[in-house]
Amino acid sequence: MNNRQKKNIQPTALWTAPSIVMLLCLTVIPLLMLLVFSFMNHNIFAGQPWPGWTFDNITRMVQSDTFWRLLGKSLLIAGVVTLICILAAYPAAWAIAKVVKPQNRSIFMMVVILPFFTSQLLLIYAMMNLLQSGGLLLTMLEALGIQAETLLYTNKATVLVLTYEYLPYMILCLYSSLEGIGDNLIQASLTLGASKWKTFTNIVFPMSVPGLLSGILLVFVPVAGSFMEPGLVGGANGAMVGSMIDTQYSGSLNMGYGAALSCTLLIVLSIIMGLTRLATARAQRSIGGDME
Amino acid sequence: MKSKGFNAVMLACLWVVLAFMYIPIIAIIGMSFNATPYGMFPYVFTTDWYETLFTTSNLLPACWYSLKFAFAVTLAAVVIGTMTAFGLQAYAPKWANRFHFVLQLPIIIPWLVTGISLLLLFSFLGSGRSVLSMFLGNLIVVLPYVVLLVNGRFLSMDRTPEAAARLLGARPARVFFDITLPAIAPGVLAGGIMAMIMCFNNFVVQYYLIPIGVQTLPTLVFTRIRSGYQADLNALSAIIVLVSVVVVILLSKLGFSAGGLFGMSSGTQSKKGE
Repeated sequence: MNNRQKKNIQPTALWTAPSIVMLLCLTVIPLLMLLVFSFMNHNIFAGQPWPGWTFDNITRMVQSDTFWRLLGKSLLIAGVVTLICILAAYPAAWAIAKVVKPQNRSIFMMVVILPFFTSQLLLIYAMMNLLQSGGLLLTMLEALGIQAETLLYTNKATVLVLTYEYLPYMILCLYSSLEGIGDNLIQASLTLGASKWKTFTNIVFPMSVPGLLSGILLVFVPVAGSFMEPGLVGGANGAMVGSMIDTQYSGSLNMGYGAALSCTLLIVLSIIMGLTRLATARAQRSIGGDME
Repeated sequence: MKSKGFNAVMLACLWVVLAFMYIPIIAIIGMSFNATPYGMFPYVFTTDWYETLFTTSNLLPACWYSLKFAFAVTLAAVVIGTMTAFGLQAYAPKWANRFHFVLQLPIIIPWLVTGISLLLLFSFLGSGRSVLSMFLGNLIVVLPYVVLLVNGRFLSMDRTPEAAARLLGARPARVFFDITLPAIAPGVLAGGIMAMIMCFNNFVVQYYLIPIGVQTLPTLVFTRIRSGYQADLNALSAIIVLVSVVVVILLSKLGFSAGGLFGMSSGTQSKKGE
């Protein structure tokens, strides 16, 4: 049966061969290597021919207080950033999808995605300039007679900068869901006597759940794995788990240990992503049920 | 619609969010014309920083290098991506879903993990940090976006003219270049622009794979912003923001919908729901 299927699809489907090879060689195999190298003791950068097998990296990781503390901190920061993004993006996406005139929607969406097309580093730099002592924000506050300390080089600055970077993703995802809710559906609910709050909880919110969850995925995962933001604006106590993994490669060249740390991070994130997918499926089913 | 008051509050929230997003960018543009370093006041208009940028600054050579590099990656990504999207149309739905799952891995996995896993691979193969490693690393990061954009175009286009041409005896190559390619051109172009932008801006993968002695713009900017205020970087930022405006307008003219790209899971699922 497999053979027949192959015969049916062969000529055109062969065009995907180059990217299948690339995805295998540059994504799947490196990920497997990450797993394999977690159990190897020598450093490949030092030119040793074939590293031996060991569980040292794993035991060291399990016993490392720093790693678990930083992993927890990263997940916490990712959670806080995601939450702020949802709270800020929901009203904004609603305004673009439902309040703004339909012919202006695409202009607003262009304005929202513009920062995504400038580099993340420039966004970080712009925020750093705004926050730094002597920068615009503090000068303005001083002019108003408010004495304030600069946020820069604290964990709060990391949260602020990450929120700044990832907010557009959340708006995009929520917008594409909210836009799909028909005005007549909301109208019907209100006309049939449902309160505004009930209309929101029973119609608007359930129908926005898919966009909300893909937004959570697109914000939570990269934020949990970020390392340049804490390095640039987080200050001395800013390190996140990404910074620790980065140090194993750019600093101390501790390849096997770094591989073990990234594998654990990836597994933890996959579990969170899997749960998110599950929640999407469930939400989708419950909407389908309500509509029938 | 809901009441006027509620909508007014939502609209106000939108403006607050936009202000949050744009004040830092506008401040940078303002500072790029300001002779007073660090702060904003007293504001003295000057174009000196632009002169520095175009004469003595090391940002410009790095910028050119990044442009050339991103163009090479884009070219490869567009060719391979278009081929892939074309071939994908012949997949059975089950296999297309499996393919999409693997295709989305480079998007979903944090760039940090992508970067170090590729560094491991290339060190193992012996090439280590090199321009070729960096090229392949960036290619795999941008390829999925090209495939998704071109694939979207395939899904929305009418396939009957191709069948008609085949029936009338046109050879497969002729059908592809005369009929298929013009029809998917907007998607290919949008994918190319997307790949170019992502590759030009991608810091993390370049940071791990860049050979010693080569500087791309993101790696140079990273080392420089560690030391704070950079007058010529303000000027360059202003130019990049301006270019981004043009790019975004261009993309919207091509019928590119960002929601379709990033809300992709929600997009496909809501179709199923309907």
